[in-house]
Amino acid sequence: MSDSKLLELQEVDKSFGGLRVIAELDLVVREHEIVSVIGPNGAGKTTLFNLITGIYRPDSGEIRFQDRNIVGLAPHKITELGIARTFQTLRLFLNMTVKENVMAAEYGHTKVGVVRSMLRTPGARREEKEIHRVAEEKLSFFGDRLMGYRWDQPAYSLSYANRRRLEIARAMATQARILLLDEPAAGMNPRETHEITELIGTLRDVGGYTILVIEHDMHVVEGISDRVVALDHGVKIAEGSFEAVATDPRVVEAYLGLRTAETK
Amino acid sequence: MAAGGGSGVPPDRSGPADAPDSPRIGVDEWVASVEGKRERYTGLRGRLTREWDHLPPPARVLVFAIPAAIFPLVTTEGNLFRYGLFTLIYALLALGLNIVVGFAGLLDLGYIAFFGCGAYLYAILASPQFGYHWQAEAAIPVIVLGTAIVGLLVGLPSRRLFGDYLAILTLFFGQAFVIFVNNANRISFPFVGHTDLTGGSNGIANIDPFNFFGYKITTTRQQYYFLLIGVSVFLVLLMFVNDSRTGRAWRALREDPLAAEVMSIPVNRLKLLAFVCGAAAAGFTGAIYGTIATAALPGDYDVGLLITIYAIMILGGFGSIMGIVVGAIIVSSVPELLRSSANARPLFYGAILLALLVKIRPWRLLAAELGGLVAFGFVVHAIAEAAYPRLVDGKALGSGTVAHALDHWMLLPQHPVKIADFAYISLIAAVVVYPQLSRLWRALLLAPLLYLVMFVWENLLLVQIGGATRLVLLGALLVALMNVRPQGLFGTATVEIV
Amino acid sequence: MNWSLFFDLTVSGLTLGSLYALIALGYSMVYGILKLLNFAHGDVYMIGAFVGWYTLHALGGPLNPTISGAAVLFVMFIVSMLGCGVLGVAIERFAYRPLRNAPRIAPLISALGVSIFLQNSALLIFGASFRDYDTFDLIGVKTFSVGQLFFSVTQLLTVVVAVLLMVALTIFVARSRLGKAMRSTSFDREAASMMGIDVDRVIAVTFFIGSALAGAAGVMFGLVFGQIYHYMGFIAGLKGFTAAVLGGIGSIPGAMVGGLIVGLAESYATGYLPQGSTFQNLYVFALLIAVILIRPSGLFGTAAIQKV
Repeated sequence: MSDSKLLELQEVDKSFGGLRVIAELDLVVREHEIVSVIGPNGAGKTTLFNLITGIYRPDSGEIRFQDRNIVGLAPHKITELGIARTFQTLRLFLNMTVKENVMAAEYGHTKVGVVRSMLRTPGARREEKEIHRVAEEKLSFFGDRLMGYRWDQPAYSLSYANRRRLEIARAMATQARILLLDEPAAGMNPRETHEITELIGTLRDVGGYTILVIEHDMHVVEGISDRVVALDHGVKIAEGSFEAVATDPRVVEAYLGLRTAETK
Repeated sequence: MAAGGGSGVPPDRSGPADAPDSPRIGVDEWVASVEGKRERYTGLRGRLTREWDHLPPPARVLVFAIPAAIFPLVTTEGNLFRYGLFTLIYALLALGLNIVVGFAGLLDLGYIAFFGCGAYLYAILASPQFGYHWQAEAAIPVIVLGTAIVGLLVGLPSRRLFGDYLAILTLFFGQAFVIFVNNANRISFPFVGHTDLTGGSNGIANIDPFNFFGYKITTTRQQYYFLLIGVSVFLVLLMFVNDSRTGRAWRALREDPLAAEVMSIPVNRLKLLAFVCGAAAAGFTGAIYGTIATAALPGDYDVGLLITIYAIMILGGFGSIMGIVVGAIIVSSVPELLRSSANARPLFYGAILLALLVKIRPWRLLAAELGGLVAFGFVVHAIAEAAYPRLVDGKALGSGTVAHALDHWMLLPQHPVKIADFAYISLIAAVVVYPQLSRLWRALLLAPLLYLVMFVWENLLLVQIGGATRLVLLGALLVALMNVRPQGLFGTATVEIV
Repeated sequence: MNWSLFFDLTVSGLTLGSLYALIALGYSMVYGILKLLNFAHGDVYMIGAFVGWYTLHALGGPLNPTISGAAVLFVMFIVSMLGCGVLGVAIERFAYRPLRNAPRIAPLISALGVSIFLQNSALLIFGASFRDYDTFDLIGVKTFSVGQLFFSVTQLLTVVVAVLLMVALTIFVARSRLGKAMRSTSFDREAASMMGIDVDRVIAVTFFIGSALAGAAGVMFGLVFGQIYHYMGFIAGLKGFTAAVLGGIGSIPGAMVGGLIVGLAESYATGYLPQGSTFQNLYVFALLIAVILIRPSGLFGTAAIQKV
């Protein structure tokens, strides 16, 4: 496993009005790692993703991707550099077909412009074929669920689990190097959760992605993580292996509250 | 792959068969297969829809282009001008606006100003105003480019705006254009000094016809075919773009701009691109219109035309390209048809009858209502004849059997003005109150209500069948259409994240 | 520095501003509750002006009033406000309520349809010619003066009535139960309905008040400028909207302040800027563009924080 730092946050700070949502956060994700971010609701996890992807701008601190400072870049530029994400509340292009959702995300790495598209030049047609091929390739990661007749179905007709899968496929299509998955197993039944756990592993092993995951389901976290980071009120309160973090007293307190008496 | 090994998913098969044979909970395939069945029509409609979907874009255009090409051969020059040319101009405008509104989802209420830009630019380049007489092959690219630049300038501040704010900004731009063009004969420009740029409220007259390398397009028929080619080519180009990288990016931007941005789509740049493309299309159309109207007048490029084009897009359904063509045909022909009372009356009554047929289900109820209406009319007429003769001393507009019948059935005062106004207001109030009534009352009062409608029609709307009436009907139609079918006639119902 | 010109412009600016503030209030309140731009609002204002005219003539006309001059004015205002209020409620009921869950563009189109309908109905019924209010004999053409500040009775009346109405509205929204219901509904409609607030009724009341204020503004326009016509609502509506955006759309104090600013700006533009009277509308538009670009949330509005 490579040791190079793919994504690094240094002393990142973010406040909304008087509320400090992220406080002096340091975070490192190395290439091909799977890092999980956990913490109670409101800990700032999704804000973290928004900061990395450029939707919010940190008040101070640095965010470096492949050793390049990405603070202040437009979100689409950041995605082009290789960071892609999914959303906690799904944000698919509901009225576009399954395949179109994935193809749309390939925009950053394709270049045929409006005029050539209108005229259907040979170059444009070649690129279209390539776009289709890449989309099919990404969708095939999920077995047969998003293949075949499904390609031309509108996204709103998909079941919930399939929608989550589609969002991941769409993120993959941006040719990202790191995937930010925001609660990928939310709302899934045990069998689907198990599949997602295996999928995330496959994404790293077969797809070569580095993955940063926000999750609440500890089974998933346990099953996938190389490293776990725990946040509470925007502060990193623990970091390490799953066992170490899960039993860390500060983490337990953040989730369950202070123990008033020893029960053991 | 995770799908294998012990998770209980049936073996891979192509087609919908990856759903298990019997429904089971906990397996998302079943839910998906039920939800995922495409909306399928049966019978004739289904066959037509499926055939249509299989046609490649150029073929679809032919379906429209071939009958359109035959049209000039079977009609008079006057009709060709009124119906043919204007339909095509409206279609071009609506298709261009569709890029901005239908593809990219930006509400542009100043679009007509770009149309005006094109017309005025051509007028400046090819008329006695400044003495230039450019040939078309040189003028048109310049105009398209020029209007695109204007579109860029308008679009630049709008990049960060969405929805309502963008609408208002563009609306103001449209107004600013009209004001500018109305007064540009009185401004002193910084370097050029005092020039009459646009002829003020008189506009620029005597615009040259198109001159392509010496071939002049002067007759209506020539103009028609030129426009037809233009529209057909534009349709094909649009269909190609829709299915391309840029088209997908526009649609993604329309669906969810934030998600699109994060999926590597440069949203602001694409909005600008949509604006510019739409503006360029409008500029081109404006140049053509300049040659048809042979004059560029400020009044042509105001809100009235904007509403007409939007009506086309609404009727046809946003984003549906062929729907827009149909919408253009409807919107340009119906008002023309309504100009004469001989046409207007059957159209209006026909529409009401149609609405009744659709809404009132049991045949007997419908027959009873219509019978009641006829009876009610005779009763009221008889009472009026006896007690208030001034209510029936006029005549119905037009001649023919219907008009004669109405003379004996409908209240037609000689000087209807005041009472017709009063009736109009009462009608609006009645229409507002009517749906609140119980079923019984609604059934009982439908006949008098219809009589009131016809009274207002005969005495007010038909008599003054000018722009006002048509617009009143258009306004009512828009509200009704939005209530019944918000996606337009040919649009597909969209799912929205609220 | 020509003080008398300045004072004249200021007075007419305040008068205009009061009108725009009243119109802007309707826009702001409706947008605050429904997130909808009521394009038809300007036309309600126009209807108010005409209703006032008809009331005036129903009471005998400006030359032969059946009751005293002040009473005539009072009745004109009341009838116009009531009539427009009812019209506003009807519009909401028919053109907007069925579309609460439709795609966002549908209510906008519907609003456009209502606007077209009202404008052209007015054309049909009232005709295309301008109507005169001719209330000079009724009120008297007196001008007051305070030093170099001159103003006429109608201008004074307009400003005073507008201020009274706005004060009444502010008290109503701040103190009364219905006012509190309005405020909470504009925050979060779903939560408000779950707290037992009859959202439909609150929305209807909002439209009633907004339209009534527009009706009053219409009568004022007739009194101050003397002539009314069927498309007067369009431009006035746009300027009222500018005022609402300037003040922060959704904010009631914002609409009031915004209206005054727009009125004053327009007035000063006619006096001081080159070719001001021809292009006065353009200058107002430029103001709006500047506001939208520099501070889209307006003076009193809060920038919406989007939860991703």
